[in-house]
Amino acid sequence: MFKELDPILHSQLRLAVMSLLMSVKEAEFTFIREKTNSSAGNLSVQVQKLKEAGYIEVNKQFKDNYPQTTCKVTAKGIEAFENYVKALQDYLQVGK
Amino acid sequence: MDDNEKELSQEESLMIIQQMINTAKKEQKDDGRGWIIWGWMLFVASILTVINLHYKWFNLFFFWNILGVFTLIFLSVDLVKAFVIKDKARVKTYTKSLFDKLNAGFFICIMFNILAINLGVGPVKGFALLIGLYGFWILIYGTALDFKPSVIASFITWTFGFIALFQTDFEVVMLLHAGAVLVGYIIPGHIANREFKKITGRKLKQGSV
Repeated sequence: MFKELDPILHSQLRLAVMSLLMSVKEAEFTFIREKTNSSAGNLSVQVQKLKEAGYIEVNKQFKDNYPQTTCKVTAKGIEAFENYVKALQDYLQVGK
Repeated sequence: MDDNEKELSQEESLMIIQQMINTAKKEQKDDGRGWIIWGWMLFVASILTVINLHYKWFNLFFFWNILGVFTLIFLSVDLVKAFVIKDKARVKTYTKSLFDKLNAGFFICIMFNILAINLGVGPVKGFALLIGLYGFWILIYGTALDFKPSVIASFITWTFGFIALFQTDFEVVMLLHAGAVLVGYIIPGHIANREFKKITGRKLKQGSV
């Protein structure tokens, strides 16, 4: 019996954001946008979904009168990501 | 990546994960500039001290005192950037955080060493011990970044330090010190810088990943 792939992570942009954040300690919103090649609006919506799921922590502050948003993966996010990768591996092994 | 709700296949998911991990990996690369500046400063101070020993222009540690002043200026600029301007990098990697702490530890160890030189260890043995300290830091750097030139350089640096331990002539120790920083900092620094430029050049050509 296969584990269902986590719907929060099984989306192109959310998965990209999580994969990126898994490899760094924290990253600014503009950095994530640049690396995922996404639009600010779409990224903002997806970041909010990940935050609501408790997978990432979002900190907003002001620097030189400009908003600065940093994102960081949470322990829950790490666990979800690991489970997602494991489920993915199971699918791919059977597909071979 | 705008088509967010597009149905993903397992292969596509795996590809995204791999792509993003590779992107993040590039952020772990060091441009080697710190090593080049620090290495050349030490190298020049060592060589000028050797020349000074021959021509007796100034007191023995004149060039080391100048280096100390420059180091304190650089350190102050860094501290102001970090605590006053709160200049934050767009991305913080685990390696970068580790290096920030290690740099502070390395600086404290150097201060211990300088104090020991002044408290009776003497410059001949003191500089040999400093070379040993450089080797340790270079090994950590090379291992953390998986950068082979630094790992190899650390052992060569230690060899210079080991030879320096048995010397009694300060001039010879200064020449060994110059050799150690050339092998340990300057050469790996330039290799790292060249690799970094290659990667960033490739990134610019490819655009965002």
